Amino acid sequence: MKSEHINAFVVGGFRVLETLLGATPKRGEITALPHVFTSEQCNVTVGVTGDVQGLVIFGMSLMTADRIASKMIGTPIRTFDDLAASAIAEMCNMVSGHALTALSDAGIRCDITPPALIRGTNTKLSTLSIPAIVVPLQLNVGTMNITISLTDRVTARRPN
Amino acid sequence: MAKRILISDDALFMRTMLRSILEGSGYEVVDEAANGEEAVAKYDQHSPDLVMMDITMPVMDGISAVKAIKAKDPSCKIIMCTAMGQKEMVLDAIKSGAKDYIVKPFQAPRVLQSVEKLIGPA
Repeated sequence: MKSEHINAFVVGGFRVLETLLGATPKRGEITALPHVFTSEQCNVTVGVTGDVQGLVIFGMSLMTADRIASKMIGTPIRTFDDLAASAIAEMCNMVSGHALTALSDAGIRCDITPPALIRGTNTKLSTLSIPAIVVPLQLNVGTMNITISLTDRVTARRPN
Repeated sequence: MAKRILISDDALFMRTMLRSILEGSGYEVVDEAANGEEAVAKYDQHSPDLVMMDITMPVMDGISAVKAIKAKDPSCKIIMCTAMGQKEMVLDAIKSGAKDYIVKPFQAPRVLQSVEKLIGPA
């Protein structure tokens, strides 16, 4: 996986989270996975198509999702309702949008699918056999892990 | 009488936030649309002073909706709201007739600045 693909999403994450939450995240230790996997309770998946293809997952605990949604909505949420889910999905959509802009500026043309929110732990998503990089963004409301599994379209392997 | 605005965005969160910002400054939000097709129908129904239009939406995207509204009412005022600051999409929207654009995530002052520039204070 190319560093510019990873950086696009990490920098996008920093910019969007700073604006939405009013605090600068800290980047945690990066880890590598042989395939896309998340053990988080709340996950938003965004598919990437075009010159680069694959999947990006924004994972966090339910408590972190509650806190982020509360900050975005401007009032503490009592239950993780449709509005809270929409806020979390839209935050990930904004991060992905900023990443696309950075990739576009580098001459890489791609598009994203609408974000899908999945609640539940130990989720393995089988798409292409593309390794993944997990970048934790530590926030004052908890940690959001960005799992990035992208590859150039010409080198993408087809599933058996 | 307060200036009347139609909000079109597929994300409930964005519609709720825009409504809060606009109504908090005295504008009247006449309706909300969750896709471009709904936006065109609700524009016909309400004839608002301004439309806040997302670009990426299901059924009909924001740029197609701008073209459809502009074809019926060349004097319409539309502000594009996009999470994707991609130059091509923004240029396409402006060419299609949108008057301004704001990039998400936005702050209330940026939204109100753009709205006031087009239709004046509430």
